[in-house]
Amino acid sequence: MAEPLFRMARAEALRIVHLDSFVAVFHRSSGLTHLLAAPAPEIMATLGEAGLTRVALAEKLVADFDLEDLDDAALAERLDELVACGLVAAA
Amino acid sequence: MSEKGEHEGNRRPATTRRRALMLGATGAVAVVSIRPALAQTAASVAHCEIPVPDAGRAGSYVAADGSLVAPGTTGAFPGPGHPLKGEDVKNALAGGQLPGTTADQSRAYTNYIRKLQSGTSGFTCFASLQMPRG
Repeated sequence: MAEPLFRMARAEALRIVHLDSFVAVFHRSSGLTHLLAAPAPEIMATLGEAGLTRVALAEKLVADFDLEDLDDAALAERLDELVACGLVAAA
Repeated sequence: MSEKGEHEGNRRPATTRRRALMLGATGAVAVVSIRPALAQTAASVAHCEIPVPDAGRAGSYVAADGSLVAPGTTGAFPGPGHPLKGEDVKNALAGGQLPGTTADQSRAYTNYIRKLQSGTSGFTCFASLQMPRG
């Protein structure tokens, strides 16, 4: 069975404003605004609209950032949060 | 050690200096969602309705990709004739099928609903279906 692909919501459906240590994301499809703290914005940007599997996401985060921890459970939780609020879709 | 050197060192671009990132301890929260006034309770989600197509374009057919096309267009479907129930739409968005429709028809209606924008009737219902639980 193929691994699910996680992808960021379509960029045109989002209005993103950077606020110092937060990123405010208005999601036009749901009419909701989300306040994101690290590492959520980085995860969204890394996934992009093309999407990545969870394993590929972890590998890319390791390559792109100086990760202080690579806790699979924590990454899964961050990803679940983004899926639950609709900013990331799993397919 | 010149002042200039130090200055440049501090401003080294991200490509040469990798940013530190913590995934966070399990149990931490990185996303806080702000619900607008249109947020509805779980009870009303099940009872809200989405007209397909919306009243302003009643009579239009719904193409497979969810766009509205002229009545009679080949491969497109006439509206279901009654507003779709929130609960049924919720199931369809999660991969189910709308009751009383064929698989293709259900997909076309669901695609139409996904494209609903603020201001279209049914949008508030659609938005509330997407509200995170809790």
